Amino acid sequence: MTFSKILVYVETSEDSPAEHSLELIWKARELASKADMSVEAVLVGHGVFDIAREVTYRGVSKVHVVDNPRLATYSLIPYTTAIAEVIKKTEPEIALFSATVIGRELAPRVAARLKTGITADCTDVDIGSWVDPSTGRKYEKVLYQIRPTYGGEIMAAIVTPSHRPQMATVRPGLFPIPPRDTSRSGEIVGWNIEIADEEFSKIEVLEVRREQRKVDLKSAKLIVSGGRGCGLKGLELVRELAEVLGGEVGASRAAVDSGWISYDHQVGLTGQTVKPEVYIAIGISGAVQHVVGMKDSKIVIAINKDPDAPIFRVTDYGIVGDLFVVVPKLIEKLKRR
Amino acid sequence: MPVNVVVLMKPVVDPKAIVNFRPDGTIDRSAVKLVVNPYDKYAIEAAVQLKEKLGGKVVGIAMAPLHAVDSLREALAIGVDEFILLSDLKLAGSDTLATSYALSAAIRKIWQKLGSLDLILCGIESSDSNTGHIGPEVGEWLGLPSVSYVDSILEVRDGSVLVKRLIEGGYVVMKVKLPAVLSIAGTSYQPRIPALREVLAARRKQITVWNTAEVGIDQSLVGLAGSPTRVVRMWRIEIKRRGKIFSDPDVDKMLEKFLEEIRRDGISLGVRS
Repeated sequence: MTFSKILVYVETSEDSPAEHSLELIWKARELASKADMSVEAVLVGHGVFDIAREVTYRGVSKVHVVDNPRLATYSLIPYTTAIAEVIKKTEPEIALFSATVIGRELAPRVAARLKTGITADCTDVDIGSWVDPSTGRKYEKVLYQIRPTYGGEIMAAIVTPSHRPQMATVRPGLFPIPPRDTSRSGEIVGWNIEIADEEFSKIEVLEVRREQRKVDLKSAKLIVSGGRGCGLKGLELVRELAEVLGGEVGASRAAVDSGWISYDHQVGLTGQTVKPEVYIAIGISGAVQHVVGMKDSKIVIAINKDPDAPIFRVTDYGIVGDLFVVVPKLIEKLKRR
Repeated sequence: MPVNVVVLMKPVVDPKAIVNFRPDGTIDRSAVKLVVNPYDKYAIEAAVQLKEKLGGKVVGIAMAPLHAVDSLREALAIGVDEFILLSDLKLAGSDTLATSYALSAAIRKIWQKLGSLDLILCGIESSDSNTGHIGPEVGEWLGLPSVSYVDSILEVRDGSVLVKRLIEGGYVVMKVKLPAVLSIAGTSYQPRIPALREVLAARRKQITVWNTAEVGIDQSLVGLAGSPTRVVRMWRIEIKRRGKIFSDPDVDKMLEKFLEEIRRDGISLGVRS
């Protein structure tokens, strides 16, 4: 008898499994214990067998490894082939990816290769049975893929009843990391997947620019963030307001790319996901990549001169005005309190 | 080298509108205004900039009900040369796999008509479904490379495109063989506002409507029947943003009002207050 299984795609960071992938393993284990399934992982890269061992310490019964010198750095098309082939050979019921920059392009590509369904950017997943109301047919071990839609106003539960695997990308930062237990043993299986030369040559990485992160905004209670509208001078005001309020300083991608502040402070898809009590966005237009990183904040305050800026749609208190006038006055008033 | 570009566009429910449910739990799209997905506008701008620099043709395509046609005029005003509306009742209920299949079939037809095709651009995601699936899935259906989270297109040369793509903590520069699918995330392409003259001219431009038969779409692969996923339930989130907007030329007065309001709502600004 074969156990039905949940497969988690594990991204790597330096020489470790990425934190968000471990969070996903935690969630997969929860689903697996509910539905009497096993959790397996797939890892693609070069020299990643040690990372695979680490993954087994987190409670994964089997890690499928596609290890090949040509896969040393991430490349969409060969990685798609590697993962799709492992899925074809191992036939998991469910395949989960993190909703990261990589996961959000790789998972749909794999899904389209396998002609199965996929749900993006889930904030939760659950497992259970489902009855199709139009046919009366009952499906078992159905993955309930829960996600915000319509800009976050509405939640939807989505299922993939008859196609396998049931695929989803799941947002990072929502689940704990399972404890590391070196007494656990799991099987590591190496796969030799044939990938055509042509797949490697279609996309070539010429240059990578990356900074490491030192500031942790995840546990901050109050964050004041600055964006494109700030400039170097505006960011000084952002810092001052954060100082007055005893909060941390955040930034949008645009501010980081402009060199006004370091990557450590970046909030958003390619930065950190934060959920403080109060988030104050200054000179930030509210591009989707920023909003996904802060929309779970309890209270959002925005200061922007453009009344139509999308940030005002996800705001509790919106102040329309020139930040160079508004922020100094606000600081002055807060100091006087 | 002139480049031929196809831009994928999705008419979406106006992000400013409040959506309502029908009794069966689906979203009532009929009552709300449709606009071009704001993220697709970056892709339109990128395509038009390429055309201005290198020459070539920009063809827009949308898969939507016929009544969406008015929302697409804006793209024509910005500089899209031709527009195809893929519209058929059989497409209703398509999920991202089915939608990407239908669009890829239509792109093949446009490709055939143009003789050559270099780039397929779309926004990073739509403002209503927010999946970001269409770019990579269209790439897969067509067997073409795709890149998501493209910040900017640096250069098109010798059958390749150089793109700057966002990653966690930085960016990568990639050389991608043409034809390629790019999902544009870059706010570096602020969409231009068309002049009145262009808006008026766009009203007279023809939008071509194709149905599934004309495109040669396999009908078992589209609509609800061709969609592996099912939306089983939708609900409104209870914690809604308060959405209180303060706007007053008298900044002092405005800030006093704001501070008073948050005090009344019991919001503490910061740990030191």
